[in-house]
Amino acid sequence: MNKVFTDGLSFALPLLIMAVGALYSEKSGVTNLAIEGFQGVGAFFGALAATLLAPLMGNGNQMIIYIAILCAAVGGALFSCIHGLLCIRFRANQVISGVVINILSVALTAFFTSAANTAINGTASNKFVLDVSARFSIPLLSQIPWIGGLFTNMYPFEIIIIVLVIILWYLLNRTRFGMRLRACGENPQAVDAAGANVIRIRWTAVMISGALSGIGGICFAYSLIGNFSPSIYQGFGYLAIAAMIFGNWSIGPTTLACLVFGLAKSGGLQLCIAAGLPSNYTDLFLMLPYVLTLLLLVFFSKKNHPPKAAGEPWDKSKR
Amino acid sequence: MSEYIVEMRHITKRFPGIIANNDVSIGIRKGEVYALLGENGAGKSTLMSMLFGMYEPDEGEILIDGKTVTFHSSTDAAACSIGMVHQHFKLVEPFTIAENIVLGVEPMEKRLGVLPWVNIRKANEQISELSKAYGLEVNPTDRIEDVPVSVRQRVEILKMLYRGAEIMIFDEPTAVLTPQEIDFLLQIIDNLRKDGKTIILITHKIAEIKRIADRCAILRQGRLIDVRDVAESSVQDLADLMVGRQVRFTQDKAAPNFRDPVLEVQNLTVRDEHKFEVVKDVSFTVHGGEIFAIAGVSGNGQEEIADAIAGLVKAASGKIILNGKDITGEPVRERCLTGLSYIPEDRNATGTIPDMTLQENLALREYYKEPFSKKGILQHDAFRRYADQLIETYDIRCAQGPDTVLRSMSGGNQQKAIVGREIEEQTSLIIFVQPTRGLDIGAIENIHRQILQERDRGAAILLISLELEEVMMLADTIGVLYRGEMLRIDSAENMTMQEVGRYMMGVREA
Amino acid sequence: MKKKNIFLARRLTGRYASLWVSVIAILLTIVTASILLLIMGKNPLTAFASFLQGCGFLAKENYGGGSGQLTDMLDFLNYLTPLILASLAFITAFKAGLFNIGISGQMLLAGFTATVLVGYNKALSPFIAKPLVLLIGLIVGGLTGVLVGYLKYRFNIHEVVSTIMINYIISYLTGFFINNYHVDMMTRNSKVCTPEARLTLTNVMIGDMKCKIPLGLIIAILIALLVSFLFRKTVLGFEIKAVGQNRRCSEYSGIRVSRTILISMGLSGAIAGLAGVAYYLGYTNTIIPKSLPSMGYDSISVALLGSGSPIGSIFAAAVVSVFQQGSNYMSSSLGVAKEIASLITGILLLFASCGNYMKYLAGRTMQQTSEIASQGSSRTAPASPESKEAKTK
Repeated sequence: MNKVFTDGLSFALPLLIMAVGALYSEKSGVTNLAIEGFQGVGAFFGALAATLLAPLMGNGNQMIIYIAILCAAVGGALFSCIHGLLCIRFRANQVISGVVINILSVALTAFFTSAANTAINGTASNKFVLDVSARFSIPLLSQIPWIGGLFTNMYPFEIIIIVLVIILWYLLNRTRFGMRLRACGENPQAVDAAGANVIRIRWTAVMISGALSGIGGICFAYSLIGNFSPSIYQGFGYLAIAAMIFGNWSIGPTTLACLVFGLAKSGGLQLCIAAGLPSNYTDLFLMLPYVLTLLLLVFFSKKNHPPKAAGEPWDKSKR
Repeated sequence: MSEYIVEMRHITKRFPGIIANNDVSIGIRKGEVYALLGENGAGKSTLMSMLFGMYEPDEGEILIDGKTVTFHSSTDAAACSIGMVHQHFKLVEPFTIAENIVLGVEPMEKRLGVLPWVNIRKANEQISELSKAYGLEVNPTDRIEDVPVSVRQRVEILKMLYRGAEIMIFDEPTAVLTPQEIDFLLQIIDNLRKDGKTIILITHKIAEIKRIADRCAILRQGRLIDVRDVAESSVQDLADLMVGRQVRFTQDKAAPNFRDPVLEVQNLTVRDEHKFEVVKDVSFTVHGGEIFAIAGVSGNGQEEIADAIAGLVKAASGKIILNGKDITGEPVRERCLTGLSYIPEDRNATGTIPDMTLQENLALREYYKEPFSKKGILQHDAFRRYADQLIETYDIRCAQGPDTVLRSMSGGNQQKAIVGREIEEQTSLIIFVQPTRGLDIGAIENIHRQILQERDRGAAILLISLELEEVMMLADTIGVLYRGEMLRIDSAENMTMQEVGRYMMGVREA
Repeated sequence: MKKKNIFLARRLTGRYASLWVSVIAILLTIVTASILLLIMGKNPLTAFASFLQGCGFLAKENYGGGSGQLTDMLDFLNYLTPLILASLAFITAFKAGLFNIGISGQMLLAGFTATVLVGYNKALSPFIAKPLVLLIGLIVGGLTGVLVGYLKYRFNIHEVVSTIMINYIISYLTGFFINNYHVDMMTRNSKVCTPEARLTLTNVMIGDMKCKIPLGLIIAILIALLVSFLFRKTVLGFEIKAVGQNRRCSEYSGIRVSRTILISMGLSGAIAGLAGVAYYLGYTNTIIPKSLPSMGYDSISVALLGSGSPIGSIFAAAVVSVFQQGSNYMSSSLGVAKEIASLITGILLLFASCGNYMKYLAGRTMQQTSEIASQGSSRTAPASPESKEAKTK
């Protein structure tokens, strides 16, 4: 049972940071389906950094992981500028832009991983192998029966994400920047009339979403897959968007949604193992988060209220 | 020391394809109410938008208190104590009144000495005080999405006062108000003037200019025509200057000649997405040859009644009978075939497909029938012939004829196309919702003439309008709608404009 | 520079604006790819030539036994066939304003179902098996499409999210069944389908070359013509376009929006199903478990490059196929990672989606030039109110 909570949380948290990224972008008025691509590219940069640093700092050095996370954030933010350019400057259709970026990301990361590996060690591999991340347990809290699992065997990045999410919540709901950002997604005309710069706010929001998605991606690479490869693209970016939709575009309920996804995934797997089914059957259980998403969407989509101005490019001359 | 607190000299502003302001020079004195009069598209809003910092002039200069200034944003303008209440309110729906007012100038604090934090409580207090001081009562913690239009306008005014505006620009402020609310607003403007503020009023309503303004500048097609002292000019003078020719204020209306009932609405109730009853148990009848006007402030259920009759919205209960047939549950197309035409409020969004051509748009009611299509295959020459016919009859100006993409046509011509298409159907019932919104006097005269023509033909006309003068001028019968209920239905001769206005406010009298 | 701008601007605002957007996108991509190749130390001309050689447009230096330029060209056409169909599927939904990102899943499900039901049945003659395969493709794809349309209309679920979820569900589901019931122990993929069921005739000897004839190509072109006819000349096509461009006005005009959405998604899915069987029982004859065909996403590139025109997508698909099919030869003869093909396709997609911005810039340029022209002439005559009236009317 503990394992369900442990694994569930370690899946839910990277998903959450990606969902919060999507939320920032959408709340500012830019529909963002490119999370899948951002997380892949961010993970690429992080894994590249790790691979380059490993021989220098020694294999197994845990500091590498933190640097990788930082590089993933920066890389994701840089890559998100393409979405920003297409949506904000070129006023393209934001859904198309998102889909285009996702397709482009797969191609870009595959190509450059291969090229980088060729340059570094001569093999044209499409994987960057990552070290195993150390895990720790919080004393006392991890001894609590049942939910103690939430505090056992945690990855350090989980703490980073939790702290980040709290900061991001505060930023969005209590500060001036957050208030203006939310206003941009509802009525950018009002923000413009109030004297703030809509374009700058939206760019910032898109880059934040890129950075956060990158962090999510590299965390998945470390915890779920053990390497960076084309299998980083498993649709988790879209799961994050779905979580944001269930969460009705606010951080608290989105967190709950991510936890539900995480526990469903780990719960399903443990169920499979407990029932003694052969490993082939795990595929069926891996389907669970996606099926759950569909079902939840069926029940929850009617009531949701996306930001009113999301998806519409901001045109200053329209009054 | 200049005699003018605001001066705009030789201002020219161009947008792609149009010169919005052409060498306009005006001077406004401190403490006066200065009106800008002109039709839609004359350039009034553009001129003031530059004063408010939303655009920069291509040529010319702006002086405040005798000093030349350049505004790059509305913050710059606000720094010179200039504020603007826009025609289309710039409000964030889910935010509270206080949040909307302080957006951009939020009172900040540092929690624990470090964390930046917007002090909403302080904002609430400040706004309470401000609203009481000027007689603009509002509750700062209400959400904008929950408050009515007149309160929203007060929020816009409070936005200006919160920023300490001394020069206040009002852009078409009375478009959405009842007569009583207009009185209230003009009183507020008078108070502000007495307080030493300078007011600039952008409007096309001459009657209001006569009531409150000191001087009036008339703009036409981007140019300044004249600046007049309001007390010394008559309504006819100002109207003629605004349009450029002599203006008629009344239409010749034949005596009513009612035929058989065409539309019967019985106990109609419509609910919105929150299950709230926006139309409550409404009943009325419209006869052939009758113009039945529903008067009411925007948002009281008029659009829902029109949509319910047209079939775009489901009726929760009640019956709609057209030409003797119960159409309550029928799909839209059935209703049209039974004898219904609909000219919607939001013409371009609802009535046209902007990226399709003119001929495709004109055929929207006919394309599925012969001769426009045979066995599911479109007959393009039928489209073209019909379009040519309508272009001729309704004087629709289009650069490439029937192949013109609708989006590239002017708003007025798109309107002509929609009205033409619907009237051509020659149905028993025509529904007009806000048919003259945003049009200039020439186009308004045209539409009124068409409405009267159809009425004389014997059609039943359901007219929904927010312009009380229009209602009084055209209607045979008036029904006043308030919060979804039809408070009174009576022949137009029996009601005065003041009475109608009172009902619009919800005052029920014996 | 000014002259060139005006030249481009005039093209981009004229009747063939969309065609020019595609041409410019292709040119920009070639330039970008050339720069990339130069950085990697490769000759762009040789690289592009090798793409064409890999597809049989140009001759290679030498060929292995049983193959020649013709076999390469036929392989290219084999790849082209499902790509054309997949992009037609995307276009059909796109006209209704819907983004069918689920083409990959629909292809996989259709291919899987057809393989299991017909492809493993040794007793069927080719004259029954092949049409049956097509039928299954249409039905399975169509039903999946209708499901997505239903979810959208009834529950307001955004089709991008729902189709991606369905993609992964299909991927895991079919992977499960293949791994447990239909796996070929040697290749780890599904067992191959029978030649009777396969839409590509293999081992056809022409001269001394072993050729694969793509029968599906005829179907692909036929469907392209049908889709084009649908949208240009039929009432249904008109209604689908209306719903895609302005849903509210469509309702107002009496169009039954829900029915239209279901039909267009159903058609889109059905065509995707055809693409699926053309891919899994045509281009190849086996299914890799848990792998969604990247063609489903490339179809979006093709559709955008072809500016959403059914006939245009045939040519756009040819361009993309040249890169995808030719990449094997190009990578082996030049030593570049073959992922470069996907990269080039991705860049192509990026430029193609800037098409709207290009048209907008062009519109602005045209307006500025006409203004300068009219200002020049109006300097002589006094600016009169009449000229303004002419403009606003």
